[in-house]
Amino acid sequence: MRNKLVYVLCLLAAGILCWQLYNILLNLPNEKDQGAIYRIVYFHVPAIFTGFMGFFVALGASGIYLATRNLKYDAFAAAVTEVSLTFATIVLATGMIWGRIIWGIWWTWDARLTTMLVCWLIYAGYLMLRRAIDEPTQRARLSAVVSIFGCTDILIVWKSIEWWRTQHPAPVLSVRDGGGMAPGMESPIYWNWLALMCLAAVLVMIRMRQENMAREIDSLRRMAHSY
Amino acid sequence: MIDQRNFMYMFYGFAAAWVIVTVYVGLLALRERRLRDELDRVRRIVEDSGKRS
Amino acid sequence: MGTTSVGSFFGSFLRDTLAIAAKDLRSEFRTKEALNASFAFSVVILVLFSFAFDPSSEQLQTISGGLLWLVFSFAGALILNRSFARELQNDCLDALISSPAPAGALFLGKAVANFVLLMIVELASLGVFGIFYDSRFGAQLGSIALVIALGTWGITVIGTMFSALTVNLRMREMMLPTLVYPLLIPALMAAMTLTTDLMNGTPFGKDNTIWLRVLTGFDFIYSILAVVFIDVVLIG
Repeated sequence: MRNKLVYVLCLLAAGILCWQLYNILLNLPNEKDQGAIYRIVYFHVPAIFTGFMGFFVALGASGIYLATRNLKYDAFAAAVTEVSLTFATIVLATGMIWGRIIWGIWWTWDARLTTMLVCWLIYAGYLMLRRAIDEPTQRARLSAVVSIFGCTDILIVWKSIEWWRTQHPAPVLSVRDGGGMAPGMESPIYWNWLALMCLAAVLVMIRMRQENMAREIDSLRRMAHSY
Repeated sequence: MIDQRNFMYMFYGFAAAWVIVTVYVGLLALRERRLRDELDRVRRIVEDSGKRS
Repeated sequence: MGTTSVGSFFGSFLRDTLAIAAKDLRSEFRTKEALNASFAFSVVILVLFSFAFDPSSEQLQTISGGLLWLVFSFAGALILNRSFARELQNDCLDALISSPAPAGALFLGKAVANFVLLMIVELASLGVFGIFYDSRFGAQLGSIALVIALGTWGITVIGTMFSALTVNLRMREMMLPTLVYPLLIPALMAAMTLTTDLMNGTPFGKDNTIWLRVLTGFDFIYSILAVVFIDVVLIG
């Protein structure tokens, strides 16, 4: 049942992505200033949505773990965080390439890139912490607290840079601001977002299966030692 | 027809995204194999000690 | 009857907090190990920075705040790391946890002690900074003091919390900075911007009250979160 769901989601994601790739490359009108590179927004923005959503989902799962102390939720939080770290890496990489071409600089401290970088650092710290703790309950407990603190931090960083940047506008990596996109140009963002969500779900399910395997190994090891 | 300016860079951008996903899937596959081997090994140990006792 | 018991709860909470803070401060002032190491480290960083930037240039005016807070946070990490780690010997941490004092009081007591120690190191470093880099901050002294206090409390709260979190890990010295510095980014951004502005003579104005709000918000939110979750971290 689970495997079938994985395959279905995979096919759905692949289908949507191929369809949108065709759409993006052939059907969409050209943007007047940036050339072809603006089409990268169709990966950049959906990856941002998926990456940030992962943070909040992990926060929820960590909270539920602390309330119920069921290790399943901890496994889910870890899986979601790891997959979201991948999407955060994609956001940073595509953002840097886009920025390098458009502005000639690899990086700028605009709200989104900075928040994503802090996000990345906190996710990476969370995963490093998990590797440093062997005992499962301690690992779950401590990483849940880090997840909660981390998510709060992202909200603070996001809000504060947004407030500041509205006073000091800086180049923003988006085709949307100032003019908005033509109607036909927006839908690929949302379709790609759906595809990336399916992909994220597939990766999380695979990762969770691995967490369950790891837990089974732990308990079997304990059983083996008790003989 | 698609605008030719910056076309290669768009391709690099898409490629970067897919390379990252592929690398992650590869890491997952490696971990899966390692876990499966470890699981089989520990299962065998438990069965053997069960048979012995 | 209800108010007396709530009052007596807060009374004993405060008493426990102050007792733990006094204990930590007393034991630190006896040896002054962390204070000396931290201050020496901050002086070294200030000297190194003087090679990276020309101390008399215009450029320094724009980065003075950032420089100062980098020094404060790096030197502070030394003090914060020791905070819970020093209780590991002779099972002192277990004794503290099993004492009648609530975990929140234990956390706040250590946070207050760390705050005092950090402020001492920072004020000393501020003096050295003024000498090395010929900075005059007499004009906005009160505002600068406020910003330093708020920023230091932010560093203290997060640092003490994660000191408790990492105390039993084998890679404690590595995990503490890795976890703490990303979380401190909003507080450090705010403190750096405010300090740079104040040191260049710009008082609190329309432009930087946002950062003041960010800093106070950060302190408030994380103080509450830390007291709420310290139980989970220390006990389980």
